[in-house]
Amino acid sequence: MSDMLDTRESVSALADGQLRGAAFASAVEAVAVDAQARQAWHTYHLIGDVLRSGELAACGDSAFVDRLQARLRQEPGLDRPALAPLAVAPHRAAAAPANESIFRWKLAAGFASLAALAAIGWNAAGGWADRALPAQLAQQSPAAAAPAQPVLATVAVAGGEPQVMIRDARLDELLAAHKQFGGASALQMPAGFLRNATFEGSAR
Amino acid sequence: MHFVAAQTPQPAVQAHHDRSISEWLMRMHDASMKKRAYIGTFVVSSGASMSSARIWHVCEGDQQMERVENLTGTPRSTFRHNDQVVTFLPEAKVARSEKRESLGLFPDLLKSTDTAIPEFYAAKLVGSERVAGFDADVVLLQPKDSLRFGYRVWSEKKSGLVVKLQTLDTDGRVLEQAAFSELQLDAPVRMDKLAQMMGNTEGYKVEKPELVKTTPAAEGWVLKSPVAGFKPLSCYKRSVAPAGSAAPENTLQWVFTDGLASVSLFVEAYDRQRHLQEMMMAMGATQTLTRRLSDKTGDWWLTAVGEVPPQTLKAFAQSLERRK
Repeated sequence: MSDMLDTRESVSALADGQLRGAAFASAVEAVAVDAQARQAWHTYHLIGDVLRSGELAACGDSAFVDRLQARLRQEPGLDRPALAPLAVAPHRAAAAPANESIFRWKLAAGFASLAALAAIGWNAAGGWADRALPAQLAQQSPAAAAPAQPVLATVAVAGGEPQVMIRDARLDELLAAHKQFGGASALQMPAGFLRNATFEGSAR
Repeated sequence: MHFVAAQTPQPAVQAHHDRSISEWLMRMHDASMKKRAYIGTFVVSSGASMSSARIWHVCEGDQQMERVENLTGTPRSTFRHNDQVVTFLPEAKVARSEKRESLGLFPDLLKSTDTAIPEFYAAKLVGSERVAGFDADVVLLQPKDSLRFGYRVWSEKKSGLVVKLQTLDTDGRVLEQAAFSELQLDAPVRMDKLAQMMGNTEGYKVEKPELVKTTPAAEGWVLKSPVAGFKPLSCYKRSVAPAGSAAPENTLQWVFTDGLASVSLFVEAYDRQRHLQEMMMAMGATQTLTRRLSDKTGDWWLTAVGEVPPQTLKAFAQSLERRK
């Protein structure tokens, strides 16, 4: 009972990008081998999606997700890139915390009765670059042929490109510069300054 | 005030409905300038992320001070004294000090006869709602073309203070929202105390951004055709160190505004190592476009940023031309 709670807790922390090192590795393994942990993983992503946009909740059919996954596995290129140095994986993932400032998904863990479904359908279809890391992890885990290995490998790969594009330090600088010197708007004085001072850089 | 109005409230309500966009904006602006102090919690949700901050605001005469203490993300305190802004980053032990000229511009912008605001936006009172415990007028600032976003503004009924603000895309969907979740008007905020905190940079490395005023013509850039409603506001050269490099590079920043929204065009020398992909990106209401510009004299990299629809940034990118 309390084991299950512990597992959920760590899966939640994993989804929030809070785990490092050994805790990260063991949570990933739990998601890869434990059906309940996987269920929790999908649920937390569903919750995250629903919190961000109700539209993302439209895909509630786990049979659809299964079919989609089967099709994805047949697609060339999407096949687990059985590559990347395994040892690097946890480190790389830790260096790029998934969605630090985003809603704390586990706050909503009480909604766990919602049908489990994967965030992945949407990732595959829409390419949500900034969520690629957790979503790809989800995408891979049900393949389950050699559970732990491909999962970690995928993390390393996924952590590479799409996030870098969004979390570009220089782009952040330019965005900040725009906010400092570009905000000569009529709405600037009452609310705009507060908005920028509150928000500036928080996406980093 | 009016004898007639006292007898029949109808005309007063009518006047309230009939405020022009300039009158609404002036009223909202004045609310933060009058002798007034408040403390509140301000929440901004943009795209998938949410930030909040504790706000202290005080205004005495023509002196305004503000303290913004971030409650989310990297700890940060921002102090503003009129157009002077100091941002403290306690983890990095850095204090950024800068003058934001644009902060003082607004009333002039609105009073000047050539302001584009009424030409490109219309204001409409759409209702009244309670925000943070205060009754507020809900005012829709609707764009008249598709080159700008709309806004829904909650303006506190007595003072006019903006207590909530939404940015709406061209279909009227909310892109970003900023609001007080809790607000205490006429709170005991002392200006001398804020000034003391703002001036206390002991233990901090004080950084000032290196900015040089310039003109687009001097830098060899021109807009072939203007983008409707957007007027050039300022032009700077600034040094921004590229990611992973300590050597700063000169980047041109050319700023435009239509009175409510603004666009920055950043132009720098093209670098094949760093400038990999032309793209269009959205983060809440903020859109970003990157594009490589080439002519026979060389290659440049444009980054256009603004709280405007993608097509507006595209229009800027298409119109920007090298003249040297």
